[in-house]
Amino acid sequence: MGKYILKRLVQIVITLFIFQTLLFVVLTAMPGDVTNRMFGNPDIPPEAIEQAKERLGLNDPILVQYARWWRNFATGDLGVSFSEYPKPVIDIIVERVPRTLTLFLTATLIQFTVGFTSGRVLAWQRGGLVEYGSTLVGVLLFTVFTPWFGLMMIFIFGARLRWLPLGKFLDPRIWSAAKIPGLADSASKGNFVFNRMLLTASIILILWLAILVLTRKLNSFQRRRILWGGTAGLLAVAGIVWALSGVGHLAWDIIVHMILPVITVTLVGYGGTMLLTRQTMLDTLREDYIQTARAKGVPEVMVRNKHAARNALLPVLTNLIIGIPFTLSGGIITETIFSWPGMGRTLLNATAAEDVPLIMGVFSFIGILSLLAHLVADLTYAFLDPRIRYA
Amino acid sequence: MSTKKWFVLAGFLVVLALAFAACATPTPVEIIKTVIVTEEVMVEGTPVVKEVVKEVVITATPAPVEPTADPNAPKEGGQGDVFRAAILEDLTTLNYWSAYGPINSSMWNYVVEGTYHPIAYGIGYHRWDYAPAIADGMPTDLEQEGDFWVSTVKIRKDGMWSDGNPVTAHDWAWTADVALKLNLQGNWSGYDPNYLDHIEAVDDNTAKLYYHTKPGLAIHQYGVLGKPWMSKAFWGPMVDPLVERMVTESEGLDKESDAYTALVTEITQQLETLDATGEPSAGAWVFGQWEAGAYIENVRHENYFDYMRQVTEYANGGFKQVSGDYTYTSGDTSQVELEYTEGPWFDKTIFSIYSSDAAVLALDAGEVGFVITPNGLSEGQVAQLEPNPNVSIVTNVANGFRYLSFNFNRPALAEKALRQAIACVVDKEFLTQSVLQGAAIPVNTIVPESNAYWYNPEVPLFCEGMTTQERMVESVRILKEAGYTWDTEPAWNDARGGSVDYGVGLKGPDGQYIPEFTLLAPTAGYDPLRATTGVYIEQWMQQLGMPVKAQLINFNRILELRASGDWDMYILGWGLGVEPSYACDFLQRDSGWNFGAYNSEEFETLCNAYKAETDRDKAREIAMDFQEVLAEDLPYLYLFTTPLYDAWDNTQVMFPFTEVADGIGGGAYGLQEYVLSVQ
Repeated sequence: MGKYILKRLVQIVITLFIFQTLLFVVLTAMPGDVTNRMFGNPDIPPEAIEQAKERLGLNDPILVQYARWWRNFATGDLGVSFSEYPKPVIDIIVERVPRTLTLFLTATLIQFTVGFTSGRVLAWQRGGLVEYGSTLVGVLLFTVFTPWFGLMMIFIFGARLRWLPLGKFLDPRIWSAAKIPGLADSASKGNFVFNRMLLTASIILILWLAILVLTRKLNSFQRRRILWGGTAGLLAVAGIVWALSGVGHLAWDIIVHMILPVITVTLVGYGGTMLLTRQTMLDTLREDYIQTARAKGVPEVMVRNKHAARNALLPVLTNLIIGIPFTLSGGIITETIFSWPGMGRTLLNATAAEDVPLIMGVFSFIGILSLLAHLVADLTYAFLDPRIRYA
Repeated sequence: MSTKKWFVLAGFLVVLALAFAACATPTPVEIIKTVIVTEEVMVEGTPVVKEVVKEVVITATPAPVEPTADPNAPKEGGQGDVFRAAILEDLTTLNYWSAYGPINSSMWNYVVEGTYHPIAYGIGYHRWDYAPAIADGMPTDLEQEGDFWVSTVKIRKDGMWSDGNPVTAHDWAWTADVALKLNLQGNWSGYDPNYLDHIEAVDDNTAKLYYHTKPGLAIHQYGVLGKPWMSKAFWGPMVDPLVERMVTESEGLDKESDAYTALVTEITQQLETLDATGEPSAGAWVFGQWEAGAYIENVRHENYFDYMRQVTEYANGGFKQVSGDYTYTSGDTSQVELEYTEGPWFDKTIFSIYSSDAAVLALDAGEVGFVITPNGLSEGQVAQLEPNPNVSIVTNVANGFRYLSFNFNRPALAEKALRQAIACVVDKEFLTQSVLQGAAIPVNTIVPESNAYWYNPEVPLFCEGMTTQERMVESVRILKEAGYTWDTEPAWNDARGGSVDYGVGLKGPDGQYIPEFTLLAPTAGYDPLRATTGVYIEQWMQQLGMPVKAQLINFNRILELRASGDWDMYILGWGLGVEPSYACDFLQRDSGWNFGAYNSEEFETLCNAYKAETDRDKAREIAMDFQEVLAEDLPYLYLFTTPLYDAWDNTQVMFPFTEVADGIGGGAYGLQEYVLSVQ
């Protein structure tokens, strides 16, 4: 296994090199550069634009720019953004990642849970009205034009019914008056709260997984009781801690603002997960061991959940693990429509402005995580399916 | 049916109900009304027009009942707590050295930070009146003192920075010194080292401007006198060491050398990364807080020197402002046209960042009072807002134009007659009204009509008001007169219902066939107006037998080709300032913007005279003349400008005036100092 991991790491480095090089070539092949936006301003004479190009290193030969990128990348510097000059690229990524992670990880996990559960049930109840209806809804959601769907969600629930906020991740009226003890005036209150929300979610997840592992030997009834009780307990403790923290209302405001984008992303992604689960379940249900289990008189729920669903889980889980790094790119459309200032909008604005260092920085981040996610997916396979062995 | 299925059905019904609730429109009702109409009736065999009383049935959809006041009832403005405005992008920096420089010149920085820094003289948003801001009266005329041209400016004594320090001439002199010594670019280049030598602070309230070369209006009145001042007390300790280093290390360096460029780059970068936290403001607003990606808050400046400044605009161009003990009056003050009072009327402004569509929905829902957009709202967004009685919409005109540029390095295009024939055949009225459906407004000179003081309405126009047939005939006449011939001459074909038989084989006065041209225009995805215009102009030129092909390509690619000189014609656009020296910047022989290599002795002479002129009225006369020359020579064929739509929630805010060139959002950044709270 160790040898396999080492081999994969070497492959990752080579792939990353090719990826970065191709990306650089594509970006530099685009016509124009970041100084193009200065051309519409008569107050900025061509000489000043030329000087700006000089300052940004855009007049250097392509190979020099390419070497500079690798030098920056190797030192973890990533350079300075052109469109948000003179902010370092790494600062921009660190600022936006928590916001994107909070939104899209939540949406991805909900979507996976709902999609997998419903796909499993639908395959089991094949031929019913519910299956036809749900499949139709799944296909509709899978193929819906996301910008239109997002705007409709805002229009119905935000503008017309006024149940949920229209966008952004916070209400300035609440945040403007809020003071966080110990936080500098110039520091981002939003990131302070986002980071703690992510930390809370991580702790809850780790503890929940621990409960899951520790209760493996118990019977189904006891296990379920402990799991539900443990989950409720963890959430209650987290809620109390936040309520006493003095910034609980800010976290709540973020959660309220998350509802609409999370529902939208969940619904759009749900169709794919549900249909994939349903299909793999249907394939699994045709296997001989399912017939055998039924012939042995194993209860239907047990056959569905333990014998069929666990085997159907593998491709769905792979899909989830590989998809998680892409949550970092943050769904450009969703972030733009919901005015969510994360990595997706950053990438869109950087591309529109031809901000090469920022685009390279964001893609590098996503690229590295995607390659690692592939490795994790492979290793998870071996963990989940004892038949798989890597040499 | 099982319980599960009932739940599914119930869930489905809930979703349907929600959709209906959201989308339902009120039922139309029929109303019978008595009206008086004029009708033609026959009286003893003679038709007579008479007023007749009639009952008519009107089908109407009642407007939704809103718990707000009657929108038609007169409203009063006054003080308010928070002015909530939507902006479409985040700030990029709080460091104004950077924000005012070339790389970081995002409009959104100016929207938020533009009011922090004092200027000596400003231009009013409504009529573009040129008036003192922190200066006390107008500057003295430029006079020669030794090698210098000198003007003195008196400065008001009531200007205060928000940190409690007075605003003095020393702040101005120091800012100019930094800009000149560090050779700052972008908007800072208004402190132009080609003219300005230095500014001397004679005392706290007197500044003397020393020019080594006599400046004109663009450099003096609309340049140095309108550039921002930075607080010396705040920035001095951080910036002075950089200036010292620049002076020391640049000694003996050639300004064209790589070493000098590297030094400027390094020091400018250090300047632009200085921490601006706590920077004081002297303007109407003081920075409050910035939550990156979400909102920015400005707080009313308690010691703002122009707080509650009363402005009176007079019909014949007169202007008066009263601020505390300070009064300034100019021009004929016999007939009052408009009176208003500057605020700020709100305690805070919160700029929330939305995407464009979400901003419009937020305005529709009353979440914000105004949407600040650089290019106004789109037609679709206006249509979306129009039914809302709480939203008022106003149209202004963009101070800019889209134009067709000719490359004079192509001999065929350097022929004036050819360009005039093209100008004749291009029917701007038809294009803007029929093709672009009113989404554009024709422009005929380099100064758009909205810039009334500098606009010349008398420039020569080609074929204005003519029909398509007349345009074709006149274009052919212009070309023939200049010696052009065809293998097959264009002709009007009545037999085909009135259309043009395209000319074939156009030959120049030298008897050579006109070579094929390419007309570059941005793609429809980038700008549908310019793309459509490009295609129409291609067709009109082809009617005259000109071998032209329109190419709709990436905008950045057009800029690249333009810079390389490898182009024939392109359609691009300019956003403009108030004072029209930009015409010289664009088209003078040695200007970096003169990509088409336009070269006219007459225009050169006029531009040089204009640049040297310091009297506004005399400069205006010269501007009128160069507009005529350009309209005749046609280095640019001006095409159109666009209407700008602004919308606001009339239950939250109101404006003392809404006629603003470039729009309330784009040109006046939301009139933050003037916007009133609806009482």
